[in-house]
Amino acid sequence: MPTSAPEPLLEVAGLSAGYGKIVVLRDVALTVGAGEAVALLGPNGAGKTTLLRAVSGLLPRTGQVKFAGRDMAGAGPGDTVRAGLVHVVEGHRVFTQLSVFDNLLLAGYGLPRPELTRQVEEALAFFPEIAAKRNDRAVTLSGGQQQMLAVAQGLVRRPKLLMLDEPSAGLSPVLVDRVLAAMVRLREAGTILLVEQLIEKALAASDRVYALARGSIVLQARTDEADLPNRLEHAYFGQDVSAPLAS
Amino acid sequence: MFASIVSYGLAVGAVYALIGITYNVMFSASRVFSFTAGMLGMLGGVLGALFINKMGMNAVLALVAVLACGAVLGLVTEILTVRPVLKSIEQHLYVLSTLAFALMVQQVAAVEWGTEAQPFPVLIPIDPASLWGQIDQKFWLPVLACAVTIGGLEFLYRRTLIGRAFLAIAEDSYAARALGLPETRLRMASFALAGMIGALAGFTGAQMLLAYFGNQSILNFYGFVPVALGGMGSNRGALIGGLALGLFQQAANFLVGGIFAAVAVFVVFIIVLLLRPEGLAGAATARRV
Amino acid sequence: MTEAAAPIRTRGAAGTRWLGKLEGKISWILLGLAGLLLPLLDDSYIGTIATRAYIYWVLSAGLNLVVGYAGQIAIGWVSMLTLGAYTTAALAAGRVGPEWNSYLALLAGGAVGAVFGVVVGLPALRLRTFYFAMTTLGFATIVTQVALAWKDITGGGVGTPGPVFPWPFDPGWGFYYFCFILAALATWMTANIGSSRYGRALVAIRDAEVAAEASGIAKPKLLMLIFLLAGALGGVAGGLFSSLQSYITPDAFTFEMSVLFFIGILIGGRGSILGPLLGTIILTVLPEFAAPLVQWSTFLYAALLLVIVLVIPGGIADLLDYKNRRPLEQHREIVPRPELLPRVLDRPAAELLTLKNIALSFGGVRAIDGLDLEIRPGEVHGLIGPNGSGKTTTLNVISGYYAPQSGEVRLGGAVLPPSAAHLRANHRIARTFQTPRLIGGASVLDNVMIGGTIDGQGSFVESLVTLPRHRRDEAGLRAAAMLALQTVGLESLAAVRTDRLQHSELRFVEIARALMLRPACLLLDEPAAGLSTEEIRRLGALIKAISRAGTAVLLVEHHADLIFDICDHVTVLNLGKVLAAGTPAEIRSHREVVSAYLGA
Repeated sequence: MPTSAPEPLLEVAGLSAGYGKIVVLRDVALTVGAGEAVALLGPNGAGKTTLLRAVSGLLPRTGQVKFAGRDMAGAGPGDTVRAGLVHVVEGHRVFTQLSVFDNLLLAGYGLPRPELTRQVEEALAFFPEIAAKRNDRAVTLSGGQQQMLAVAQGLVRRPKLLMLDEPSAGLSPVLVDRVLAAMVRLREAGTILLVEQLIEKALAASDRVYALARGSIVLQARTDEADLPNRLEHAYFGQDVSAPLAS
Repeated sequence: MFASIVSYGLAVGAVYALIGITYNVMFSASRVFSFTAGMLGMLGGVLGALFINKMGMNAVLALVAVLACGAVLGLVTEILTVRPVLKSIEQHLYVLSTLAFALMVQQVAAVEWGTEAQPFPVLIPIDPASLWGQIDQKFWLPVLACAVTIGGLEFLYRRTLIGRAFLAIAEDSYAARALGLPETRLRMASFALAGMIGALAGFTGAQMLLAYFGNQSILNFYGFVPVALGGMGSNRGALIGGLALGLFQQAANFLVGGIFAAVAVFVVFIIVLLLRPEGLAGAATARRV
Repeated sequence: MTEAAAPIRTRGAAGTRWLGKLEGKISWILLGLAGLLLPLLDDSYIGTIATRAYIYWVLSAGLNLVVGYAGQIAIGWVSMLTLGAYTTAALAAGRVGPEWNSYLALLAGGAVGAVFGVVVGLPALRLRTFYFAMTTLGFATIVTQVALAWKDITGGGVGTPGPVFPWPFDPGWGFYYFCFILAALATWMTANIGSSRYGRALVAIRDAEVAAEASGIAKPKLLMLIFLLAGALGGVAGGLFSSLQSYITPDAFTFEMSVLFFIGILIGGRGSILGPLLGTIILTVLPEFAAPLVQWSTFLYAALLLVIVLVIPGGIADLLDYKNRRPLEQHREIVPRPELLPRVLDRPAAELLTLKNIALSFGGVRAIDGLDLEIRPGEVHGLIGPNGSGKTTTLNVISGYYAPQSGEVRLGGAVLPPSAAHLRANHRIARTFQTPRLIGGASVLDNVMIGGTIDGQGSFVESLVTLPRHRRDEAGLRAAAMLALQTVGLESLAAVRTDRLQHSELRFVEIARALMLRPACLLLDEPAAGLSTEEIRRLGALIKAISRAGTAVLLVEHHADLIFDICDHVTVLNLGKVLAAGTPAEIRSHREVVSAYLGA
């Protein structure tokens, strides 16, 4: 690591969160630098979605979250979004009774109208397929298109960091490829934190990777390191790996 | 006789429909059924009579004042009785908190205003012999109010961003929150809006229903029937249900007399609900386990 | 349940229970004495108020079971009072045939109340909370309207005289004692139901309906019994009321009275008898102490209700609950005792659970797509797979919450009926839930005892008057529950309110509850979620011991370690189909499984 590394865009330290009495995350720490694409991997129940929710303020948390130099203590999802940290939630949840365009307008609720329309057009430019359907109700879109709409919603505010929760979930392989192709373009445009279950695709799309299992980070590495898939598998199944295995 | 059934039935049905819409607007914003819809209707009449008769305001000013009071009461309902219990695991506390608040307001009205039904002044000075005077305004005022409200809500939901934000929160409040929509402020606005609609219903319907504190219980129930029949959250269903209820009630009044009309309404209500608990246009219930 | 050795006595639970019994008794003794000795004051005004309080309590004691225990928002209950009052008055006055004896007329009032209690209660089985509340309000209005209209029977707006009871219960102190005795009887009976398996079942329906079904509790029958009882008590109260008033008119039965009854119970606290009793007395007596208050009485009731809902949802009962304010030991450990299992699971031959060709779709999605599964007694069978693979759905099909569109589930040779979750308990199929479903406001012991509800032999009526079979049931259930708690290592927390426990303890309480069924088949839905490593190890040992005692165990889990440690057999699901099945070692090295499970 170069010694004059700039301050990371997102810094999470000592984060714990859960639902009611159930503690899901214990003392999690991670960083995302500006311009990076970071993947967050892990088996079911590890806490990946919980982590994103805790960072974006959808869930209460203890611990420290610093974004763009600002302490985000007590910030709810509204504040977080306005600070430039946007969370695209799991399950391509769009507002089915509203049009594509309306869905995007709502993503920028509160912005002055001329700016908002401009930013909506920019977001639509990423996904020409749904731009063509801008006045259709979201319920007429296919699963993959709804996922693209959800990501486009995330882009409306020109986020400094975009967090995506399993954008490929529930989609057929063809759609998965289409959505992940959009990820590549997104990566050029800004910083991404990507939660995924599909390891190979996620590794192909990112610079660094964190593995989360049973509520804690069990592995962090650059994606160009050796033997990564193997090490991940071991990490998932409970063996501690902090260095590449001798094969 | 037929004309009487139709005019009275549509008019009172329009009031019921508006109260049903009041329930719906509060429900859409919060998934909470509030007992305050009937209270708002009652106050529309009582406060209107107070402002015009006792304080000498003209009709337009009184209307504005009544709407303002409705909005304020809607806000108080949200802040005091809905927001504190939304977070609680105890599912049905809000039923009790809104009931408690509605009862408190009703009792204040009973004590301060009196328990006797008082006549409501004629709002628009129209010569009964003229063209406009052919149909008594106490019949077409509520229907007009209903039409204006429905039209207004359509405009709100389709043309304004805040209206679409209401629809978003009603459909998926989690996704709305994640997008950064100001959920609390939007909910407060919904309750204020509902307050105004309820107050409008009471104000325009008071020439028929009189200014009477007991209207709260009547409107609570009869305003709820359209919602139950038409499906929760469906304003279209509330409109049709309300008008149908009004007509049915008046017809029954004529045919079997007031008391058995009430029994008839109740029996129909129960039968429909038992056959289709979600209402005639409602959606199926979600996964439990 | 063997009659063998007595359960190991631990100081904690037994000591608190004794104290609890005594604490409760003191209040009743004081109240009883106050009631008996009140006539010594020789003040007829106070006597009338007290009589009115007793009458209201007779109605409220029944309503308490509906509102406080079953959690049904029955606001318009004054309708029962009206029905009982007019029935008794009309019969005693000879408006329907010859004049009836007053006591028989009173009984008839109770019977009419019982019938209409069921009528009003039926919608509760189908309607959501708010809807049901509205129907009770509507019904109350209807009853008043009918009272106004049916002049022959009720005298219409003019009214009708109420019955006069002959000596020794004649008007004055005689009638006072009559009402006192009936109030005491109502208290005793409803308290018996409250602390019986019926009372616990009611609270289970209120707070953990899904878990109640899994324990075999049938909601319709139980609710109808409660509405019947509450209606009967309301009707009797009505008859007494008509005598107290000596002349009744329809406007004596106001909406405000409904409010009083309802709020009295909520102020007192749900799931309690003493709390609502005090609440009802306070609300009855309050307006009498200050003349200006009478006008504002309903306002005060409503304001009290608002305060209670916002600040102390548990009501007076919560305030009086000193036991649960004693601090708990901070660093508690759960130490299960698997060696006790043979005594707990003492049951006949074990059975095989098979699924054949199960298919289930939700909307357009095939959640389960042709699934075959065999869960053998004496084995732990693990079920794993990525999110959305159909694991929990499979569990829900086996436990009867979802009906598959094709295929069948068999236990032993018998086909299990598809959508009958509440019948699974009869087949000794028990389960736990992904998120613990327990009654927060009840004690740990009560929660575990709910698991054994179907083992009770005594009928509702026997519990009502605590006949011997009821007592045997209770003693047996209590002993079995303590044994189950000892087995999971939580006996020291038996008397503690369940919502004070840590999450991991709640998971073990669910297992204790499941053990109460002495299950042939135990279904576990992600029991390790949220547990520490050591707790998972102990959980694993317990599960393994349960299977070795003869139970067929199906374990749905994400925790790979737990699966590979204790399972004898593992099935991997993906997209609703079996991807692979075999021993843990085989699965662990199965390439396809690793990819699917990790996602590639």
